[in-house]
Amino acid sequence: MVRVHFRLEDLLVEAPAGTSLQAIADAAGADITFGCRTGSCGTCRVRVVEGLGHCSEAGPEERDFLQGLDAPPDQRLACQVCVHGDIDIEYLGL
Amino acid sequence: MTTLDALLLEKVLLLDGGMGTQIFARKPTLEDYGSAALEGCVDLLTERRPQWIREIHEGYFNAGADAVETNTFGANPLVLGDFGLSAKAYDLNVQAASIAKEVARSFDRPRFVIGSVGPGTKLITLGHVSYADLLTSYRVQMDGLLAGGADAILIETCQDLGQIKVAVRAAREAMAAAKRRIPLWVQATVETTGTLLVGSDISAVLTSVEPLGIDVLGLNCGTGPDEMHAHLQTLAETSPFRISCLPNAGLPENRDGQVVYPLAPEPFVQKVLHAASEFGLAILGGCCGTTPDHIRALAPGVAKLNPPKRTPTLERSAASLYQSVALKQEPAPLIVGERTNANGSKKFRDLLAAEDWDGMITLAKEQQREGAHLLDLCVAYVGRDEVRDADELLSRLVSQITLPLMIDSTEFPVIERALQRSPGKCVINSINFEDGDAKARAILGLCKTYGAAVVALTIDERGMAKTREQKLEVARRLHALAVNEYGLDPGDLIIDPLTFTLGSGDEEFRKSAIETLEALRLIKAELPGVMTILGVSNVSFGLNPASRHVLNALMLYHGVKHGLDMAIFNASKVIPVAKIDPEDRKIVEDLLFDRRAEGYDPLKSLMARFSHRKAAVVDEHRADLPVLERLHRGILDGEKQAILADVDEALRDHDPLKLINEVLLGAMKVVGERFGAGEMQLPFVLESAEAMKAAIKRIEPHLPRESNYQKGRILLATVKGDVHDIGKNLVDIILSNNGFEVKNLGIKQPIEAILKELEAWPAEAIGLSGLLVKSTVIMKENLHFMEELGLKVPVILGGAALTRAYVEGDCRRSYSGPVYYAEDAFEGLRHMQALVAGETSVPVPAPAASAAGEIKILHRGAASGPLSARGQSSWVRHEAPVPQPPFWGVRELAEAPVDLFEHLDAFALIRNRWGFSQGSQSDATFAAVLRDKAVPQLVRWKERLAAEPLFQPKARYGYFPVRAEGDALRVFDPADPERTLTVLPFPRQTTGRRLCITDFFRADQMDVLALQVVTLGQAAADHAARLHREDGYADYFAFHGLATELTEAYAERLHARIRQELGIAAKDLPGRALFAQGYQGSRYSYGYPACPDLEGNGPILDLVQGSEIGVTLSESHQMDPEYTTSALVAWHPQARYFSA
Repeated sequence: MVRVHFRLEDLLVEAPAGTSLQAIADAAGADITFGCRTGSCGTCRVRVVEGLGHCSEAGPEERDFLQGLDAPPDQRLACQVCVHGDIDIEYLGL
Repeated sequence: MTTLDALLLEKVLLLDGGMGTQIFARKPTLEDYGSAALEGCVDLLTERRPQWIREIHEGYFNAGADAVETNTFGANPLVLGDFGLSAKAYDLNVQAASIAKEVARSFDRPRFVIGSVGPGTKLITLGHVSYADLLTSYRVQMDGLLAGGADAILIETCQDLGQIKVAVRAAREAMAAAKRRIPLWVQATVETTGTLLVGSDISAVLTSVEPLGIDVLGLNCGTGPDEMHAHLQTLAETSPFRISCLPNAGLPENRDGQVVYPLAPEPFVQKVLHAASEFGLAILGGCCGTTPDHIRALAPGVAKLNPPKRTPTLERSAASLYQSVALKQEPAPLIVGERTNANGSKKFRDLLAAEDWDGMITLAKEQQREGAHLLDLCVAYVGRDEVRDADELLSRLVSQITLPLMIDSTEFPVIERALQRSPGKCVINSINFEDGDAKARAILGLCKTYGAAVVALTIDERGMAKTREQKLEVARRLHALAVNEYGLDPGDLIIDPLTFTLGSGDEEFRKSAIETLEALRLIKAELPGVMTILGVSNVSFGLNPASRHVLNALMLYHGVKHGLDMAIFNASKVIPVAKIDPEDRKIVEDLLFDRRAEGYDPLKSLMARFSHRKAAVVDEHRADLPVLERLHRGILDGEKQAILADVDEALRDHDPLKLINEVLLGAMKVVGERFGAGEMQLPFVLESAEAMKAAIKRIEPHLPRESNYQKGRILLATVKGDVHDIGKNLVDIILSNNGFEVKNLGIKQPIEAILKELEAWPAEAIGLSGLLVKSTVIMKENLHFMEELGLKVPVILGGAALTRAYVEGDCRRSYSGPVYYAEDAFEGLRHMQALVAGETSVPVPAPAASAAGEIKILHRGAASGPLSARGQSSWVRHEAPVPQPPFWGVRELAEAPVDLFEHLDAFALIRNRWGFSQGSQSDATFAAVLRDKAVPQLVRWKERLAAEPLFQPKARYGYFPVRAEGDALRVFDPADPERTLTVLPFPRQTTGRRLCITDFFRADQMDVLALQVVTLGQAAADHAARLHREDGYADYFAFHGLATELTEAYAERLHARIRQELGIAAKDLPGRALFAQGYQGSRYSYGYPACPDLEGNGPILDLVQGSEIGVTLSESHQMDPEYTTSALVAWHPQARYFSA
């Protein structure tokens, strides 16, 4: 099991390793807004404060998108991340 | 006297800024133009108001410009013809150049005059004008500019690769006639889409104009300096020419119907100077929206720059309209597709005889898919007019194929016409010395005029060179003529040392492969830089197909080892050498290298060994396949035309029902699997569905009367309150083309209506769809309603806002019949298949579902931030002053549809709306899909929409005084701020920041709320409906996605204007970032997470008087027509999207 901490609301959730962050956020009712859920709108952008290495790697599309925003490397699209270890995230939105 | 080129060695040259901007600042009247009919003919003002032009030039020289551009942007007979002034073209150019020269001479340091040549109003690549007419028109202009004394010609603002080449030729010919050589500059305009208007990227431009020997290749117009970076970088790395950069003063904005360029001199200068040093720019200046102030501000910085030193490396390449392809491929060789050749392919010959141009293009596309890098194109057919055929085919082909072309003809007129029709850089195939060098000389002349590479065969007056020495000797002679005499770059000379068949056993040719391979090595060593090519498959001519594959593959392999760069080869038949059986390989190599021995002839061994073997089926062309296999492939490849002939053939020997059930549906099953595995994308799936539909239509009349291939029935509907059609329609397409009978009830369907239909038309299941968050609730209510009626019919739910957990949890609890979640249309199909097979459940991708159950909340912090005394979230701070709108109340805005593309979020369109996602494809494969499919599709739609007025965009917007009152906004009458117009309620988050839209407005004083509504008009909605009705699935889907995204673009554009008007546009980010809320404030639409309740649309439409532009509200609070969107705009810096 892995633990995900949502900073904005100090919400701590446990889930099986490999679960998508989207599923975790949805199930726990976390304050993350998802738009397209396909990695092309950016509404669900988060900063991974700790545990960046515990996130599944970004695919080329997500990389493309984040590059287009000049986003620093610790930012991800929550809808594209699977969680493989404990992480601490902060919702940024667009 | 210093020349322009000499000055460029000393310094970075400063050009002037916009001419049009300066002219229009003088507000020309009808009197200035001479008559109403001549209004807008800016070029005419040279004659009518020469003093203006003088003053403008003086203004720029005084500001520090080293050179100014003449007022001749449209001064050619074709453009002036629109005003009936063609005859004036020459004189206007002479006058304009003379005036500018006169002003230049009045300054004491060297000042120059650049003859400006604009793109005109007609696109040659799209067939708006003939090559000859365009050339004649430009020639007049060039003659005039030269006569008037221009110091350089600048072909600028180029939008069309074909046009550049014509204009360059006109300039060259004019200079030759005037016996005066002046520098020739070219500037392309790269749009915000990253390509020229017609779709060419900057590398395609460079590759195509490079052989024409110009002096400068740069960029102007289209965008501001920021957007030019990527393209300037490409030029910096690869272009051998000096680079110029004349950007606009930012991306244009529309303010009160006026086009405004936002970059003031300061930021403009900073960006341009930064680009100059980063990319080694040699010539700087400005385009639209730049003024003498911009140039004056630029001058001191430019004076400090040293002339740039770059070390570019340019790969020898060919180019199509769209892209450049390096002739040296890694791994070698470059593959030239050989099947669009009337001499080599029977299929192509038949298509040509039938004048089936589309069929020929399909064949070309097949080769593109199979991995060819270049397309050999030969339309020589005895008894036909080869020039006309080349013209007809190329006029259709060049905009549909992304591969560069190899023009395969030895006839001068055919080659010339083909070159005039092909916008990029072609390869000509071929020249030789069979009858001396006259013909070769003529064709090399074409290479120089049109900028082409050429294949040269080692054939001379003695015939085909057979030994390595003869081959080398002829190659040397070809090199001397093409490179030394005609000045071709050696890399544009592609020598073919000839391949002979080893299949005849003829003693004379036994060693021919060795000679050819050795000749390759000698040519590469002795003639540095030249390229080599072979028609590889000739080596096996006369042998059976199975042995040919192996022999060809090994000839190719050894050719590459000996220095072969390019091969004319069937790309689908490239077999990896490693996969060849070692014994086969030994025999074939013995044949290639003529290793005969006492009692051993590798040719005989090969023939014996392969006599009973069939060529590997997977590598065959469709024509060689059994008909059922062809049908299967036809579905997979979405060949809706080609499949019909195969259906007809199959019907002769096969049971129609079996064809549908086994072959066609079997193929659709594979389509579904590939889609599910991420190997195939939605647009391709839709093409398969169209092919399926076409095939079934063809088979249906042959079905026995009582037979029914339908497997079951489903009722489909978008739920009450939701107008979103597309997802449901996709399900309809997939199910109905997989053997299910679908009744599609449409949108906004109350459950009562659906159930009533079910009584009349019993079905195996009901499919409910909806995109809105609210629709997920409606679905659950519907299930509850059905439960109360005691129904048990299975229900399948799908839609963007649904999650598997919600369906399998909440929804299932509401209904005792089966409830299934379908993530996409194919999962819906699997559910249906399971239902009719009597299975109760189908395997679904498990992880999300099972994981949802195991997710546990361990801790939830002080759930809610405190609300302020006024009932607002304490997270939001009210520090910034409330902006002042330029007016109160509402106004209408009307804009040309073409502008919408400038704001189009192409990334979202292609990836999200059109469903091009990478899935399991490799980076390279996916990049190729984007390049060959998605981007050309966008270009085609853009062209089509420019020609066909399907969009009538209209918009209304305005500003209202408001005050926050807890969870509601009180909207006041702008005319009477005491009077309340309406009160808008909004939901508030129950935890976390506890946000509500009202928090972004002041509760303690009057604030400003902007409202907007945009629509593309009724015609767009009608068109989408028509496409769907007529089974144009792929077109329907593409159009719907594009229209939806253009509606967003329009909303985005209007929102940008509102930010401008409120004075909060300073934080707008460039490029894509803007689409991702890269600005201050937020735009909220009803139906989305912050305000999911569509009922809010009513008061908004009332406030902006949407009915004035034909927007009305349905009873379910949706806006009509489709492709309409409304929004509330909050200016507050903390206003962002959130979920309530």
